[in-house]
Amino acid sequence: MAKILEGPAMKLFNKWGIPVPNYVVIMDPDRLAQLGEANKWLRESKLVVKAHEAIGGRFKLGLVKLGLNLDGALEAAKEMIGREIGTSVVRQVIVAEMLDHDEEYYLSIAGNRDGSELLLSNKGGVDIEENWDTVKRLFIPLDETPSIERITESAIEAGFIGEIAERVAKIASRLILCFDNEDAQSIEINPLVIRKSDMRFAALDAVMNVDWDARFRHADWDFKPVSEIGRPFTEAEQQIMDIDARIKGSVKLVEVPGGDIALLTAGGGASVFYSDAVVARGGSIANYAEYSGDPPDWAVEALTETICKLPHIRHIIVGGAIANFTDVKATFSGIINGFRASKSKGYLENVKIWVRRGGPNENQGLAAMKKLQEEGFDIHVYDRSMPMTDIVDLALNS
Amino acid sequence: MSILANKDTRAVIIGGIAGLNAAKRMAQFDFLVNRPLTVQAFVYPPEEGQHKEIYRGGELNNVTVYGSLENALAENPQINTALIYIGASRAYQSAKEALDVKGIKLVTMITEGVPEKDAKALRKYALEQGKIFNGPSSIGIMTAGECRLGVIGGEFKNLKLCNLYRPGSFGVITKSGGLSNEAMWLCAQNGDGITSAVAIGGDAYPGTDFVTYLQMFENDPETKAVVIIGEVGGTLEEEAAEWYGREKRRIKLIASIGGTCQDVLPQGMKFGHAGAKEGKKGLGSARSKINALREAGALVPDTFGGLSKAIKQVYLELQATGIIKQEPELDEKLLPVLPPSVQEVMKQGEVIVEPLIRTTISDDRGEEPRYVGYAASELCEKGYGIEDVIGLLWNKKLPSKEESEIIKRIIMISADHGPAVSGAFGSIIAACAGIDLPQAVSAGMTMIGPRFGGAVTNAGKYFKYGVKEYPNDIPGFLNWMKQNVGPVPGIGHRVKSVKNPDKRVKYLVEYVTNQTTLHTPCLNYALEVEKVTTAKKDNLILNVDGTIGCILVDLDFPEYSLNGFFVLARTIGMIGHWIDQNNQNARLIRLYDYLINYAVKEEREVPEKK
Repeated sequence: MAKILEGPAMKLFNKWGIPVPNYVVIMDPDRLAQLGEANKWLRESKLVVKAHEAIGGRFKLGLVKLGLNLDGALEAAKEMIGREIGTSVVRQVIVAEMLDHDEEYYLSIAGNRDGSELLLSNKGGVDIEENWDTVKRLFIPLDETPSIERITESAIEAGFIGEIAERVAKIASRLILCFDNEDAQSIEINPLVIRKSDMRFAALDAVMNVDWDARFRHADWDFKPVSEIGRPFTEAEQQIMDIDARIKGSVKLVEVPGGDIALLTAGGGASVFYSDAVVARGGSIANYAEYSGDPPDWAVEALTETICKLPHIRHIIVGGAIANFTDVKATFSGIINGFRASKSKGYLENVKIWVRRGGPNENQGLAAMKKLQEEGFDIHVYDRSMPMTDIVDLALNS
Repeated sequence: MSILANKDTRAVIIGGIAGLNAAKRMAQFDFLVNRPLTVQAFVYPPEEGQHKEIYRGGELNNVTVYGSLENALAENPQINTALIYIGASRAYQSAKEALDVKGIKLVTMITEGVPEKDAKALRKYALEQGKIFNGPSSIGIMTAGECRLGVIGGEFKNLKLCNLYRPGSFGVITKSGGLSNEAMWLCAQNGDGITSAVAIGGDAYPGTDFVTYLQMFENDPETKAVVIIGEVGGTLEEEAAEWYGREKRRIKLIASIGGTCQDVLPQGMKFGHAGAKEGKKGLGSARSKINALREAGALVPDTFGGLSKAIKQVYLELQATGIIKQEPELDEKLLPVLPPSVQEVMKQGEVIVEPLIRTTISDDRGEEPRYVGYAASELCEKGYGIEDVIGLLWNKKLPSKEESEIIKRIIMISADHGPAVSGAFGSIIAACAGIDLPQAVSAGMTMIGPRFGGAVTNAGKYFKYGVKEYPNDIPGFLNWMKQNVGPVPGIGHRVKSVKNPDKRVKYLVEYVTNQTTLHTPCLNYALEVEKVTTAKKDNLILNVDGTIGCILVDLDFPEYSLNGFFVLARTIGMIGHWIDQNNQNARLIRLYDYLINYAVKEEREVPEKK
């Protein structure tokens, strides 16, 4: 899943003929003044200014300002740009035309195993959750495009009438095209508004997820996906992501503030089970981490050093299943180097380390890990005969 | 019995190096269970026509790489399974082609990062053809005692530890690849091992699902229980629960589902596999899956660590009811032992290999080359020069300051002698013919011999002989030379003479005798010889080869190394001539007719062949 920001989503809508309001994305308020001189709509329309960042609850944070003229928009942009929200900074705002409208609709499409599903409602807007039972669904099998008549039928079933039903169906058909051709995973337009005086439609707000794995066939994707973890990435997370992008195999890190059990676990499947085990035993994780696909030892070393720096940790779980092809000796040598470096910098005081692993060269890897005891590490090493997540029980009972 | 892969499975691997590594691992399994090679062909257009070396135990096989699946199948019609190891951007096309082949019933894909749309389309295509598309992101499929597809099962030692050389009673289906291996181990440790294990991959839309394989296991009488390992996201586990609860099933079901931690994580925080994403309103959450499975009658321990006990419990129950009969365990000692590579055995000190060559000067096994023990970078740092490296590599000694200065000067004055001499001319002709640097320089190099530059060694050798055998008897030495060798190497010049001396010789002799403290018995002897020979004939002077040869003998270089100085020095010049000709884009040259005396027969008729 890769969520993209409103600006790039609007650009893709435009490409596929889905009506969007006039908008600009700016990083510098002065630019807005210049754009105002060039664009009549900025001078004459009511405007909305929104922080163009992956920050949840923007409205409550005062990062969405409605009903402004150009001067008001300039003020709002100045106020928002540079604001720090938690670990993130507002760097861009999107300024869009606030279309005076008569009604708000809901239109979305999401993929499923057999194709996708189009959702339509004539009761869109902030109350859509309450009106969820008014939503009409149309299943679209893989590789099929429903006829405009079929979509119009669904629109009518959803309560749209006459010309509006036809126009909504037309927009929906373009949404389907956009979804199919842009390797989207989901697109939600809420609200889709209509100004009846001139029958003008516009997608006022949109949430779009694209399949980032498909980027190799989209030369015009000039955007980056926003954080998938519900908040902006921290510096440490960003560093690990940068390493991840350069190596064979992968290393991953998500920080979970407040936890005291750090995870330094291997494999996409096993790592989640280690997190589960900590939670199931009443512990709290300080992070989620994962290395897999036989990454180079230096990448694992960097991950290790990052994890050792996490504040207030009491245990580090160096867990993993019996690897198929990740070399235990090589990846452990990265971890060992990371531990040594961290210790020399004053980290790992009063931290207990718990190890369980199997796989290629497991004996050498585990023996090397065990030798850290001689260097004064509080480390407990187990081989494959220890049930995988039981080191978590041992840690929490220690 | 088994599912998906068996004794009759014959596979093609589509992809490059990752596929080759998988084939090597698969061949280890083939060796363990004593079956023919599973991998019969590779398809990888960039390496079309090559053969990959695959060891099945100690037996070396050459497996052909084809440019297309069509060609691979034409020569190997027995292939019934395809493994996709190619990059994400080409994975869809490769898998579709494989599904199009009539004889291929199973396509399994390890490629990660395949677009969802492609995976969905492949699943649908396979279903329409009544075939199985497994993956993407699948580590593979294992059938104990019969067949391994992919690197599932890990290293050879692990195959034995997991009892994969013979069938057990448990089926395994996982999303994760690492956990498929873990699950096989758990089944071996707490039960009697597996029949088959399948990793379906952790993507959002895998080509197959738990239900498909559960049904296969249900139909396989040897499988008595199945372990499934799922995770948050999608509804495959719920469907498995629904399938299991729908009617009385023969197989016991044990499950573990990852992702319960997401209940307590900050809102929106997600991690793990691509498919491990909870839907709206808790749909696909780990908790809902666990509940559904438990309600359907599956045994679901509360952590992964609890799987050991769960498997043991089911195993003991099945034994108690007689469904699983305990079979005598094979003696592990009877299992084949993977022949280790020579390097591995040598490390353990269990074999002696007679070395093919011996070196006494240079060691490249560390982080940087060491010349007779000295690290190259340290020599640089401490102010040593190329002359000292020559001393080390040719004579295993670090020369003194004076000595290295002499070596340096010898090389400097011998580096070139104009374009007309045989060596430079040879290189120039080659350069003009468009020949590349190494070959053009070699062309010049081949000129070095008894008449050109190659007299240094023999000069040094015979003057050294003279010093030793005829120390105060120059006529005796000359007489011996005349009888046993011929003209004295290092004496005589084509154009230079007493009246027209070779400045290089004068310079070298002057420098060595007057400006250094070097003891030069050989050079002194040669100069005495010169006095005698020039009295006989004006041009029988000590030439540059002779001078260099004697000085180098006095520097204690072995006499057979001496030509090396000329070869080394002149290489500098020859490279220079090659570069010079190239810079000028010099034209091809040939001799003019008038420079050739055509002393040939008149034109005449060729007689009939007898």
